[in-house]
Amino acid sequence: MNPVLEVRGVSKRFGGLAALSEVSFEVARGELLALVGPNGAGKSTLFNTIAGVAPPTAGRILLEGTDVTGKSSHALARLGVARTFQLVTLFRELTVLENVVQGLHRHTRLAVLDGLLGLPRYREDTRRLAERAEGVLALLGIAAHRHERADALPLGIAKLLTVAIALATEPRLLLLDEPAAGLSHDEATRMMDLVAGEVRKRCTVVLVEHNMRIVGNYCDRAVVLQFGRKIYDGAAAGLVHDPAVVDAYLGVAEMDG
Amino acid sequence: MTVARVAALLLALIVLPFVATPYALHVAIVVLFNVTYTAALYAVLRMGYLSLGHAGFIALGAYTCVILSVRLGVSPWLGIPAGGLVAGLFAWGLGALTLRLRGIYFALAIFAFGEIVTAFFRAFDWFGGPAGIPGVPRPAFLGTPLASHFAFYWPVLVVAVLGIAILYRLQYTRFGAALLTLKTAESERLAESVGIPAARYKTANFVVSCVITGTMGTLHAQYLLFVNPQVFGSTMSTDLLIYAMVGGLAGFWGPILGAGLLTALGEQLFSVGYWKTLVYAAILMVVIMVLPGGLADLPRRLRAHFGAPR
Ligand SMILES: Nc1ncnc2c1ncn2[C@@H]1O[C@H](COP(=O)(O)OP(=O)(O)OP(=O)(O)O)[C@@H](O)[C@H]1O
Ligand SMILES: [Mg+2]
Repeated sequence: MNPVLEVRGVSKRFGGLAALSEVSFEVARGELLALVGPNGAGKSTLFNTIAGVAPPTAGRILLEGTDVTGKSSHALARLGVARTFQLVTLFRELTVLENVVQGLHRHTRLAVLDGLLGLPRYREDTRRLAERAEGVLALLGIAAHRHERADALPLGIAKLLTVAIALATEPRLLLLDEPAAGLSHDEATRMMDLVAGEVRKRCTVVLVEHNMRIVGNYCDRAVVLQFGRKIYDGAAAGLVHDPAVVDAYLGVAEMDG
Repeated sequence: MTVARVAALLLALIVLPFVATPYALHVAIVVLFNVTYTAALYAVLRMGYLSLGHAGFIALGAYTCVILSVRLGVSPWLGIPAGGLVAGLFAWGLGALTLRLRGIYFALAIFAFGEIVTAFFRAFDWFGGPAGIPGVPRPAFLGTPLASHFAFYWPVLVVAVLGIAILYRLQYTRFGAALLTLKTAESERLAESVGIPAARYKTANFVVSCVITGTMGTLHAQYLLFVNPQVFGSTMSTDLLIYAMVGGLAGFWGPILGAGLLTALGEQLFSVGYWKTLVYAAILMVVIMVLPGGLADLPRRLRAHFGAPR
């Protein structure tokens, strides 16, 4: 069986800066992979190339064996790639429930004419979408916030909502950019328990994380980037004993995590 | 709005021509023009885009219909959908090019477009040049041209009601809801990441707005019996924005309210020429400074100020 994701020799340049240099790795179905690396290593850039936000300068991206390099972000979403952003991004003026309903977009029949006429079958569809969105909210334990506006949420709930929106697309591959960053210890634990539990049951997950304790506790495997190059690819548990990784993180407090 | 209210409003609009004086009917027709344009403009404002040249699409519809009927002898009836179609085609091309721009860049691109449209018609004699084209025929019903205000009111009412109904209902469709996710570049990135084809949706919505605008523009030219580059120029574009702002951008009915009130007022000031511009500008300033939510926000403000009625 093909791996869910294959990154083959991906490079990304911004003018003179090589943000990614020939990065290659695979992610197997059902895996929970950590993408690790110091600030500016190219982790978010890698997510952007996989999710179609900024195509790689060189190299290929394969999704379950199909070359998807250069496809647009919304096309990749329809092919089953979902992601969250490092900077918490929500539909700020919409409610929590409406945010997740938008996340269901790829499962929506647009049927504009039915909608203009307000046909019963259209309203039935809309009702079913809301029900489905409720299911996702319940899964992440934030259903109580359903009618609150997204821009009024505390960070912990907002971050769970970003995951809920992505999960609502029912992806094959979910890319989470620092889901636990900025959260309190308890909030981070709640987030990671969900990601390693309910979320992981539904899709393959790649997440960016700086905290080695979290990586070791929750992830199977880790890929480490430094200056846009892959310096480690192996068991998450072995990470803290790898000389190259220790070197890259030398003096960085999170190592103690 | 409830079904009962819509029915009452429709009934009033149908009874109106039977009881109104010709002058009142003239005002009603102009109100229907402007209300439709403003509702169409609001559809674009609602997705976060400031169209500073929307009158360009009125001009495209109007000139298409006039050229077809005056120069090429095509039926004025056919000119009506043709004007909408041409406005829509231009909106498609222009939208695809400019809707990736944000804020002031988009606003100025559309402003430039509006200027180009009118400058183009002004430049060529075949399109009427600076003086425009007089003698625009009105469509005929059962062999009689719709010459009176009473007769011409009906096609205007039909296009206004259809256009506004489409624009109103569209907001509550899943398409209309998805448009709200495209208001900022950041939010649009998230929308794309869940599979919303942002560029396509924005262009589609822009096209709908401009088709309705252009279609009404054809009737506008037929009503005036002439077109020239000035009537549908940048002043018209800014007037539409003033209507929308004064009415309030929080909901669908604010811009319609603003367009209705200011147009009716503007018609009273028409005989005194430049007063209209002055009064509009002054009202806009006052509303922006003391009532930023627009007139539609007034009831809520009053309730907040005097306490909710028990
Ligand atoms: N759009 C861009 N234009 C120019 N340079 C960019 C752009 N995006 C990222 N970079 C640069 O590419 C490098 C990698 O950035 P990236 O955001 O991928 O790092 P990261 O590993 O996610 O870091 P962090 O842990 O701080 O989030 C950095 O030097 C950054 O300045
Ligand atoms: Mg990053």
